[in-house]
Amino acid sequence: MSEEDLPLKNELEMLVERLKEGNVDLHRPTLESLRTLIRTSTSSMTSVPKPLKFLRPHYATITEVYESWLPSDNKLFLADILSVLAMTYEEDKRDSLKFRLQGSSEDPGSWGHEYVRHLSSEIGQEFNHRQENDMESEDLIELALEIIPFFLKHNAEADAVDLLLELEIIDRIPQFVDEDTYARVCRYMASCVNLLVPPDDCLFLRTAHTIYRQHNKFTEAITLAIRLGDRDLIKEDFDAAGEFDALLQKQVGFLLGRQQMPMLIEDEEIQEILNNTHLTKHFISLAKELDVFEPKTPEDIYKSHLENIRPGFTSGTIDSARQNLASTFVNSFVNAGFGNDKLITIEDGNNWIYKNKDHGMLSAVASIGMIMLWDIDEGLVKLDKYLYSPDEYIKAGTLLAIGIVNTGVRNENEPAFALLSEYINKPIHQQRICAIVGLGMAYAGSHRIDILDLLLPLVSDSNLSMEIASLAALSLGMIFVGDCNGDITSTILQTMMERDPAQLKESWGRYMGLGLALLYLGKQDASDATLETLKAIDHPISKQVGVLVEICSFAGTGNVLKIQNMLHICNDHLDKEKDDDLHQAFAVLGVALIAMGEDIGSEMALRTFNHLMHYGEPVIRRTVPLALGLLCASNPLLNVLETLSKYSHDNDSDVAINAIIAMGFVGAGTNNARLAQMMRQLASYYHKEPNCLFMVRIAQGLLHMGKGTISINPYHSDRRLMSPVAIAGLLSTIIAFTDAKTFILGRYHWFLYFLVTAMYPRFLITLDENLNSLPVTVRVGQAVDVVGQAGRPKTITGFQTNSTPVLLAHSERAELATEEYIALSHVLEGFVFLRKNPDFMEEDKD
Amino acid sequence: MQKLEVKVKWCGQIYELELDLDEPTEVFKMQLYSMTGVEPERQKIIGKGGRVLHEDTDLKGLGLKKGFTFMMMGSSAEIPRAPENQVLFVEDMTDRQLAETLKLPAGLTNLGNTCYMNATLQCLRSMPELHQSLNRFSSGMNTGYPQKNLTASLRDLFQQLNQTTEGYSPFVFLQMLRAAFPQFAQQNNHGFMQQDAEECWTEIVSSMKMANIPLPNNDSSSSSSSEETFVDRYMTGEFTSTLKCDEAPEEEPVVTKDVFTKLNCFISEKTDYMTRQIDDTLKEEKVNKNSPTLGRSVNYSKYTRISRLPEYLTVQFVRFFWKSHIRKKVKVLRKVKYPLDFDLTELCTDELKEKLLPVRDRLIELEKEKLEAKRKAKITKDSDEKKELEEIGYSSKIEEIKKLVNPELAADVGSNVTGLYELCAVLTHIGRYVDSGHYIGWVRKEDSSEDWIKYDDDKVSIVKKEDIQKLDGGGDWHMAYVLLYRSKKIE
Repeated sequence: MSEEDLPLKNELEMLVERLKEGNVDLHRPTLESLRTLIRTSTSSMTSVPKPLKFLRPHYATITEVYESWLPSDNKLFLADILSVLAMTYEEDKRDSLKFRLQGSSEDPGSWGHEYVRHLSSEIGQEFNHRQENDMESEDLIELALEIIPFFLKHNAEADAVDLLLELEIIDRIPQFVDEDTYARVCRYMASCVNLLVPPDDCLFLRTAHTIYRQHNKFTEAITLAIRLGDRDLIKEDFDAAGEFDALLQKQVGFLLGRQQMPMLIEDEEIQEILNNTHLTKHFISLAKELDVFEPKTPEDIYKSHLENIRPGFTSGTIDSARQNLASTFVNSFVNAGFGNDKLITIEDGNNWIYKNKDHGMLSAVASIGMIMLWDIDEGLVKLDKYLYSPDEYIKAGTLLAIGIVNTGVRNENEPAFALLSEYINKPIHQQRICAIVGLGMAYAGSHRIDILDLLLPLVSDSNLSMEIASLAALSLGMIFVGDCNGDITSTILQTMMERDPAQLKESWGRYMGLGLALLYLGKQDASDATLETLKAIDHPISKQVGVLVEICSFAGTGNVLKIQNMLHICNDHLDKEKDDDLHQAFAVLGVALIAMGEDIGSEMALRTFNHLMHYGEPVIRRTVPLALGLLCASNPLLNVLETLSKYSHDNDSDVAINAIIAMGFVGAGTNNARLAQMMRQLASYYHKEPNCLFMVRIAQGLLHMGKGTISINPYHSDRRLMSPVAIAGLLSTIIAFTDAKTFILGRYHWFLYFLVTAMYPRFLITLDENLNSLPVTVRVGQAVDVVGQAGRPKTITGFQTNSTPVLLAHSERAELATEEYIALSHVLEGFVFLRKNPDFMEEDKD
Repeated sequence: MQKLEVKVKWCGQIYELELDLDEPTEVFKMQLYSMTGVEPERQKIIGKGGRVLHEDTDLKGLGLKKGFTFMMMGSSAEIPRAPENQVLFVEDMTDRQLAETLKLPAGLTNLGNTCYMNATLQCLRSMPELHQSLNRFSSGMNTGYPQKNLTASLRDLFQQLNQTTEGYSPFVFLQMLRAAFPQFAQQNNHGFMQQDAEECWTEIVSSMKMANIPLPNNDSSSSSSSEETFVDRYMTGEFTSTLKCDEAPEEEPVVTKDVFTKLNCFISEKTDYMTRQIDDTLKEEKVNKNSPTLGRSVNYSKYTRISRLPEYLTVQFVRFFWKSHIRKKVKVLRKVKYPLDFDLTELCTDELKEKLLPVRDRLIELEKEKLEAKRKAKITKDSDEKKELEEIGYSSKIEEIKKLVNPELAADVGSNVTGLYELCAVLTHIGRYVDSGHYIGWVRKEDSSEDWIKYDDDKVSIVKKEDIQKLDGGGDWHMAYVLLYRSKKIE
């Protein structure tokens, strides 16, 4: 013991002695000096403060003294001091809290931050204890509410929120937050959501939403409303935004348009924003700005002169239907949305169509839709002549193309519905299915009842082939994604019960199931009844569809229990002869689907996949690459690329094919140079295997999708919002690869166009009040998670300064470089309105 | 009369017109026809909420408001028609069609250390004239003369190879080869042994010579007698040597003529370039011979020049020598550069040189012009147009050169008229000893200046010109062993 400590120790002992004595008059000053000594020392809590350390041996004595006193002010005072002392002495007895409740109830903050934190943790424990024993806990809540303002004032919003969560009174937080604290509180709350169990997650979202609305932060509020999936709330926010600020309402409109939320508004200008009518114009001007407007040929993408071995096939003049088909897809993905290309929309584009075979011609014509994407006016003009073609495949392709062109944009004339609905009931098979699928794409997420009436009879009619019924179910699933529509649910379930078991066994069964599953996308428990009903179906399909419904319901929630469920399913080693193992494939996809959108979960899923790849059955091994592609769509993480590159040389050609296409998904629209190199190497490696080469080509096309401007990642708005439409498109495409031989490598390669619903430019365009592009300088860098960090930390790192419009990669964020303008959206992504900052002062020029 | 102003959106433009609600839709369509030029039957007019106007649609029943916007779909573009020639796809072709269209020839399967034979055959196969000659050779495979049988089986083999793209197994030919030359049937305890490809080459050529295969048919009109054979005319050259006695300069030099089917390139520690080495060897060879004037064996200097150049010239690198203490033929790894374009005029007799030079000089000049034009085209980047312009002058020049060809040489079927050769096949060896390692044939691809075909047994692939230049030795990579040059065509 040092020399300084000795007097302190002696003084404390003297004070304790004095308390023990009966001289009541002396008690008050004694307590005062004790308090002073303790308070001056608790400011720093890196070690146990000296006074507390020295008082420890006397704690029992003081407690006894306390017990012996009669109720008085002094007793309350002593209770306060005991409460502080108890903090370091007794674990798990919650003495601190006990004395606190008996004490004088003065501001707990005066004893320092550490005390308050300790107290709050004891409150939580005590609350749980009382809950178990059915005891009242009003006093605890009162105390907690006393503590909350202290936390909020001291940058400890996390503690405040956690405490309220434990006391189950999170909805009371809005009354405590103010202009300075609300943003941090809400950010913390929103980031917690993935880790909470229902119903707390919804409660959090709602509470945060309330706070944002209190502070008129409409874009933030509506983001949460969208996450809640509460249409009434969205509508309410939207209207409220309009009352508050007309321009802000337009900004909110862009957000809803991005999410493809259908909404009918009187105002024509806003309706156009909601309909995404401006998308094509701005996308093309972006392309010109970035100098990528010139069309590219497939050969520009393949760069086969860089491939090591030059196969004799490509140099010759001979046409391979396979390779031409691949070029068709590459051409369509690469030039998607630009409205020009060098193969098919040109003067003698017919020639190219006839360089494809049968179903290839269908895909070739449909590729016009992809190239003209979002531009309904021009696209329909280009497509018109093909509607009069005598060739059935060309005509069917045109119908599909009409669907594709209309994807993601709406027009009040409803050309897609007008043109496609005619063909729904015509008995020409190919045109019929293309019309069905086209409607599904064009109206994905629109919840249109008139299309329901049109398509539902096709699902229930058991005279129709399984193909038509399933695709109709799928289209309905896409249109009513996340709607929990009861009619569709019961019809699909009914069909599954009535259809011949042999028909259900066809590869098409999975699409009927997917249609059902999409109805419950992200709706969590809402699918319970459906799952129960499915169990009643005595066919392997019930298991498959059950898994599909479950994974869709929990898509993007990061629900750990569900992930465990899926892993359990993967555990079984089934005998393929006896049991159907397809549901295992869906379970693997499920791990990715549930974990996506939540960083830690995704990381864990990546590790899990490694294990599945080592120990899983073939069906699981084949699906793992697809799951990786789903998990990291348009997000070329280096380790994922390396893993997939390894799988792409697997002995099992199905694994290789799926790995190759997964590389395409992972790199989609990024132009990632490393991946491009890997692809060229794969192209040389597989130059004699047409199937693999076909996949490599398609993956190359995906990699350069929109010449590197389009992303297929379903998450947007700072990776907070999941686009259900995008998920629907991704899943439909990926599920085709669970039986690649039938679908993609067979006659249904055009299922690749399902990706269109997930495609959206990854741009940031800043607009002035008249919807004209307004170039400003922005900083673009890697996003940093600043939730719960003290102060005003930087939100991006390693940034570059550019002038808008700019492209944003996955996990990148933008911020305005100067304060000249104020952005109306909290997230700089997509379309953002700017308004002059009235407080902005031009920096001195001299 | 109910009139209403409406708009029609078409092709990104908005047309305003007055609509008479009492009239049928036909009238509306005609109005649009006059404005847009799209025929009424090709028009699809879409109203609100996806309703298409049909002939019997009552316009009044639509509840239109003033300024309503219709959408029209339609164009005056021609309806697509299938092209006249159906495209034939690889996937639909038979193997045979494939082989014919792809021109990627078939490989030969290795039947157990037979790569020496496969490589040799692929190199020999690069002579189109040989195919024609063989096709005119009518003998069967049971003649009693093993060499004839071998030649007949070679003919059949080439024919079969031309009809497939898959690897082909030359069982019959191998059998015939081993029957004719038992040394190739040598075995050790692992089976048949690896053999020297050059030996195989020589034996096959000599068999063809023995079998007297006729000349290719396109020469039938010329005066050549039926006695003349392919190997004699197309593959055999003639040396003219002058023998001088070193010790008795007054002794009359003896001039002799010899035929040859290949040039040898010996490799000493000074050898760097093939052309130089061959020249040096031919210029001065020491021969020990009995002198008629001196009456004893003395040294003679032999000065050799070439007096006839064949169409196809074989050059052998003498890379293997017998190392007696390990009792093995060991390879010389030295790097010896060989040209892709081989100018042999310097090695010819003065008489022959005189006949060749006019053509050769003009041809080389033209080559330079061509290169220059190509370079320029590269700079200006619009290569097509330039080339065409250039070619007009080019073809007339070619005609001019053709006239320069010496008539005597032109009459000599199967001889070279320019003195210029280009490399058309390379036989390489990898490994340190003659009876081990691996042989590969590399053959220039027809109608391509850049691509070569690599025949690694049944693995056939395309390689670039640069890869061929890398085969000149100096390491453990594939190393040229036998080269086959063909005459440069004037074209």
